[in-house]
Parts: sequence; C-alpha cells; structure tokens
Amino acid sequence: MARSAKAVPWFVFAAGGTVIAFILPVMVFVTGLAPAIGLFGDALSYETMHAFVSNWLIKLILLGIIGLAAWHAAHRLRVCAHDFGIRADGPVSIAVYGLAGIATLLTIIALLMI
Amino acid sequence: MSQRTMELEVMRYRPEMDDKPFFQTYSVPCEEEWVVLDALNYVKDEMDRTLSYRWSCHMFVCGSCGMVINGEPKLACKAFLRDYDGKIRIEPLHNFPIERDLVIVQDDFIEKLESVKPYIIPKQEKPLSEGEYLQTPAQLKAYKQYSMCMNCLLCYSACPQYGLEEKFVGPAALALAHRYNMDSRDVGRSAREHVVASHDGIWACSFVGACSQVCPKDVDPAGAIQQVKFSSAVDYLTSFLPGGKR
Amino acid sequence: MSRKPYHREMSKTTWFLKQSRYQHYMLHEISSIFVAIYVGVLIVGLFRLAQGPDAWAGWLAAVTSPIGVIFHIIVFIFAIIHTTSWFKAVPQAMRIQRGEEIVPGKLIIGAHYGVWAAVSVVVLLVAGVA
Repeated sequence: MARSAKAVPWFVFAAGGTVIAFILPVMVFVTGLAPAIGLFGDALSYETMHAFVSNWLIKLILLGIIGLAAWHAAHRLRVCAHDFGIRADGPVSIAVYGLAGIATLLTIIALLMI
Repeated sequence: MSQRTMELEVMRYRPEMDDKPFFQTYSVPCEEEWVVLDALNYVKDEMDRTLSYRWSCHMFVCGSCGMVINGEPKLACKAFLRDYDGKIRIEPLHNFPIERDLVIVQDDFIEKLESVKPYIIPKQEKPLSEGEYLQTPAQLKAYKQYSMCMNCLLCYSACPQYGLEEKFVGPAALALAHRYNMDSRDVGRSAREHVVASHDGIWACSFVGACSQVCPKDVDPAGAIQQVKFSSAVDYLTSFLPGGKR
Repeated sequence: MSRKPYHREMSKTTWFLKQSRYQHYMLHEISSIFVAIYVGVLIVGLFRLAQGPDAWAGWLAAVTSPIGVIFHIIVFIFAIIHTTSWFKAVPQAMRIQRGEEIVPGKLIIGAHYGVWAAVSVVVLLVAGVA
C-alpha cells in the first residue's frame, strides 16, 4: 500500500475548518442576521462595502476565508457521501474538489472586478 | 447482600446446527455487586454449559471479555449490574464474524496489528551487555497512554468506518503504531508509513471518535490517529521539497 | 470440526441513525452542506458588489428577505455546531506535552473560545463603525 495523497485535501480541510470555526458565526451574523434586526445598515451599504472590499488586504483575507471554506466543505462532503453509502469516491472527489476550484476561481474574478 | 433476578438475553450461534444467530433468555439470580461476566459465569456453571465466551482476568486488564451490552461495546467484567435495569441484551462485538455464541473471529485484527510492526525498531541493535535503554519520565509520557491498549477490540466494534470498510486498519492498530512512533527508542516511523499512511490506514478515519468514547483504558485512538494525520501530512508535503524523502 | 463464521451486515446508508453518538457525528458533518451554500451566496454577493449599486441592492434585499433570514438562521446554527464540535476535538488532535505533563484539554478549548470571542468582537466593531 502506498502513501495516500488524501493527506493534501485533508490538510486544507483542517486549515479551512479552523478558519471558519473562528470566523463563520460572526460573518453569518453580519451578512444575514444583523441587517434583519436593523443593525449595521451603514456597513452593508454599497458605498461602504465597495470601499471596504476594494482594499487589497481585505481582498486577500476574503479570498482566504472563502477559498478555505469552499475546500473544507468539499472534503467534508466527499466524506459525507461515503458515510451516506455513496461508494463512487473517484467521481465524487472530482465533483466536490472541482466545485471548490470553480468557487475559488469565481472569487478571484469577482474580487478583481471590484 | 441482596439478590435480584436479571433477564439476560444472549445471542447464540452454533455453527454446526444454526443457520443464523438467535437470542436465548436466561433468568439469573444476581448479587448486587456482580458484573455482567459474573452473570454469564453463573449461566455457564449452573444453567447452560454450552454457552461460549472469552474471559480471563476479570479486572479489565486483559481485554478478553469484550461484547456489546445493551447496544454499547463494553468489557463484561467492567459492566456493573447495578447500572442496569432487569433486562440485559448481550451480543458479540460488532463488525467481526461470529465464531460461536459471543466468540468473534479476530484474525483480521491480528493481521492488521502485525502489519504496523508493533515492536521497537531501534537505530542499532544493542547487545544485552551494553545495558538498558534510558528514558526520561517526559519521554515515557509521550507514548505511555497509547501503550495501555489491551487489544480488547471495543473500538473496532464502535467504529462505523471499520463497519463500512473492512480494509480499514482500524483504531487500535493505528494507536499502537503511534505508540511505537512516539517511543524515543524507536526509529521505525518510515517503516510503518506504507501501512499507516495508506488509503486504508489513517486516511480512512473520519474522526467519528466513537473508538475513544468506548475505550476502557482511555487510550484515545481517535486522538492518536489525528496526530498521525498531521505528521503524515507534513511528511507527505515536505517529501516533494528538495531533499525530502519519498 | 467445521467452522462457519457468521457475518452480520451493517447498513451502509442508515448506520448513523442507530446511536446518538453517530447522529451527533452526522450533524456536524452535514454542516458542510450549509457552509457550501453560504459560500455560494457570498460569491454571488461579491459579483453583485462588482456590478454596481443596483445589483448590490438586489442581493442585499434577497439576503434580508424572510427566506434569506431563515436561511441565515439555519447556516448560523450549523456554524455554531461546527465551531463547538471543532473546538471540542482540538485537544485530541493537538496533544501538547510540556515537560512531563500534557496541557489540559479544557485550557486549549478555553483559549480557542477566547480567540473566537475576540475575533467576533473585532468583526462586529469594524462593521459597527463602518
């Protein structure tokens, strides 16, 4: 038996899981829950958000968070599929990591457009 | 010393006469300080000599009497009757073929244990005349927890990944590989890697954690496996750098 | 002596319903579904931000609509499930030995919650003063 390459996606999964463990709850709060109760209205206005995201450091941070979250979710979904009895690990891996790759690419494109 | 009658619903299977397992109920007069093993011994001594099961030390250090008691993998000598209501359901450990009654076929585990080379692989063989290896308390602490494994197989019974994929090397074997990897007297990590870091080794584990929950010796095989994942992942990634070993 | 070992089969699709510990495991595993969807929502948001004020207003309206709020509540719950299960697992995955002692798990978990609280406060402050 050879050393498995599963080490690589697992490493990214662990990094992504750690990042979103710290930042996801507050991000969800800010983007969806706070505006619903009238908080942070100014922060989410077009002018403020556009100025905020135009900053290159913010772009890098957002790319890091979204990218890592996407790859974390992808690897976990691959494991989930196996746990739910779906035994086609090859096609499942291609599908989930492919989607994560597309998500990362789209994020880069959107950030470059801002 | 008060007695109460407990109903033991025990899985039976006689390969020479049964097509499949069935449950047989025994009404056992039990002392209040008994464990499940005492009740089973009463059945075998006084009621049904044909009942087969493994046991030995009766003090949870040998790992022989693992079975599923009311759905939970436990050692029969560590399951106190005072923690149960009148009815107890006893089955052989999950995820292993049944040999007879409560006796399972352990061969798969034994093979896997052998495959992880569970012995010290020293840098150089030392003759006895050179004396013993010296180890500080800190060096001992690094692996002692994982050396407590007594191969009772409760973790394999609890592990759903082992149930889903029998090729999985499994919690105890991997924890024992880690025990030797962490031993300062051992340099065998790369010799074990091709089994430990294979697709059916640590990478088949999804950290359900059931193994560590049922372990009667607090070995924490789940923790051991995650720690090996980290060091293996670093090894794997650095092996692509110049000078890295492949 | 003829041997005839009996193999008991385990359901490949419903095994996780059989015990509460397996159900707990599945709960934090499926958090990934909602993380994935939320990532998608964020990416769409970034594109709308790039496309101008009207597009952005449309995204904001969708996200704060009743369905958007319900979706966010669900994602929030799963985000908390992820955070709590992740932090609980850290001491097992990361065993730190200091001399002859292992750093207590509670300390490691507590430190993680501390950082989580600090990060959350910083983000809230930045959002608040923006």
